[in-house]
Amino acid sequence: MALAQTDALSFTYPEVGTPALEGVSVAIEPGELVCVLGPSGSGKSTLLRALSGLVPHFHGGRFAGRVQIAGNDTREARPADLAGTVATVFQDPDDQVIFGRVENEVAFGLENVGVPPAEIPPRAIAALESIGAGHLAGRRTETLSEGELQRVCLAAAVALEPRLLLLDEPTSQLDPAGAEAFLDLVCRLGSTVVVSEQRPTLPLARCDRVLFLEAGRVLLDSPRAEALEWIAQRRPRYLPREASEPVSATARGETVCTLEDVAFAYPGGPPVLDGAELDLRRGEIVALMGANGSGKTTLGKIAAGLLEPQRGRVAFHGRPGYLSQDPGRYLVRERVDEEVALGVRGDLAPARAALRDVGLAGYEARHPRDLSSGERERLALAAVLVTEPDLLVLDEPTRGVDPDRKAELAELLRRGATGRTTLLITHDPVFAGDVADRVVQIGAREAVYA
Amino acid sequence: MSPAPAFALLAGLAAAALLAERAASVAAIAAALLAVCLRAPQRRRWPYLVGALGSALSVFLVSPFVSHVGTHMVWEGPRLPVVGVLDVTGEELGAAGFQALRLAALALAFAAYTLLLDHDRLLQSAGFARRSVLAAGLATRFIPTLERDAAGVVEALRGRGVDVRGIRGHARLLSPLLAGSLERSLNLAEAMEARGFGRPGRTRVPTPPWSRLDRAALALTPLVIGLGAVWL
Repeated sequence: MALAQTDALSFTYPEVGTPALEGVSVAIEPGELVCVLGPSGSGKSTLLRALSGLVPHFHGGRFAGRVQIAGNDTREARPADLAGTVATVFQDPDDQVIFGRVENEVAFGLENVGVPPAEIPPRAIAALESIGAGHLAGRRTETLSEGELQRVCLAAAVALEPRLLLLDEPTSQLDPAGAEAFLDLVCRLGSTVVVSEQRPTLPLARCDRVLFLEAGRVLLDSPRAEALEWIAQRRPRYLPREASEPVSATARGETVCTLEDVAFAYPGGPPVLDGAELDLRRGEIVALMGANGSGKTTLGKIAAGLLEPQRGRVAFHGRPGYLSQDPGRYLVRERVDEEVALGVRGDLAPARAALRDVGLAGYEARHPRDLSSGERERLALAAVLVTEPDLLVLDEPTRGVDPDRKAELAELLRRGATGRTTLLITHDPVFAGDVADRVVQIGAREAVYA
Repeated sequence: MSPAPAFALLAGLAAAALLAERAASVAAIAAALLAVCLRAPQRRRWPYLVGALGSALSVFLVSPFVSHVGTHMVWEGPRLPVVGVLDVTGEELGAAGFQALRLAALALAFAAYTLLLDHDRLLQSAGFARRSVLAAGLATRFIPTLERDAAGVVEALRGRGVDVRGIRGHARLLSPLLAGSLERSLNLAEAMEARGFGRPGRTRVPTPPWSRLDRAALALTPLVIGLGAVWL
């Protein structure tokens, strides 16, 4: 008997015309690792929320069909009732961490499901240790990196010993080694796992079955071998592939930014950078890669003039622009075109052209907060591109971006590459290989867990 | 010290500052709370100290001009429409200083609560109204998150060549920051529900037993309030 089953599931969010899911019927057997793929907005996250009961209980909307989890019909069982049987790890750890201390965060779910008090601390510690994060016990959550926070969220889910573990793009914040180790841990847990991912290489290598969603419908529901054939024929961009060699620049122009012997430490913290060197020339795209906590973002901010190094020299020849990895920081104005125009003293003409470049033509009058997460990413990019910087620093621009959009972004970056220098901070070696002229590796500070 | 007795003592000191009638007593309470706040890391404490002491200074500077008490004239200025004669008396200065010290003591007690208390353990020790206590605890946790968001938005604006200057520039960010907080609180509520919050039969992590210092702090709290009301 299937552990989780959806029968002709259709769901439409409130105040939205088109359904997020339409006629979805899938069955998930105990012990399976199911990989859910599909473009942004295809319904992957909604399917996971339906399997946890959050759809429709938390979101409202129009719900049709049936979802059963371990014999419980989600129309009757609320998400809180399913907690313990189902556990979910969401995409952004910042939006799910409640407590200030790691062990309290892991214990929260155990308290909610009524585990006897004496058993809670040892189970919380055991969960942290089971995913190689025992060393984080006692730490304050606000001092953790995004990668460490994501592990704490996984530990909080694992502590519940759920029969069904739902992971919504769980590795989007992690470097490749961290993401691989994370998914290996998940495989060893023995739970039934449904994982939605935009970097399909790693889950496709480990899963038993693949679901491919598009416009709320299931296009593919097959075992891995068959699914790989289908993907190769129909959606080749989703196929796992090795990173290609950087496409060496044809002509490197004058130096736009130079960093010499740069050192930096945040107040009260260890050195993040020590003796960093970088030479960025007009016309080239440089990918900056390295493990979580290695100082990539700090180096990018120093290159963009947002941080002052404590030692060393930074020389600019031109104007920098910096795209933060959090698109939520580009939601200051009431209209999309005004948001983009903020960087060009309110001039709407270049703002609208930038919106066209990133595929947001027609969105000018919308409120930035009404955009989906993928659309917000593009809005943020437009808000920086419109300033026509000589040095464009992009911090994780492919986080949560589907392969089709990544290809479009690569094309956009290459098209504008000649007139500027682009420093691309990324965890995505395939994207770096596709778009960069050269790759700069930065040393690791945060241990990769095993 | 455990957070619950520390919270009680801070609340007691704040109440004593409100009840006390001598400026020297309120000043002593404010100084004690300032000393406590200085134990927090410098990077975290400065916005709270600037806020607490800045707002107290504003009260001291503004209130003599808008009140009209006392006969010992210190300064007499021009007559303004609506406001009347601008003047400052010795009594007004004394009252302004007293109210400023009270405000400083209250703000510093809040700063000490935010900066130094372990809110997780405070939540755990609440034996009643857990939902309300959790809501209050989460609201407190959002303060540093809001600080981080504000810094992030300013940084993102600088990254596209927009400088945020002055009180007016920063005030314009309030609305988007609050909207962002509301969005985050919805996501957090969803994650909490998925983790079983609200399910009947909830248990609690055992809290460590109180030390002598904790018991002493709790015993001291009503004493401090009583002193504030009767003697200080």
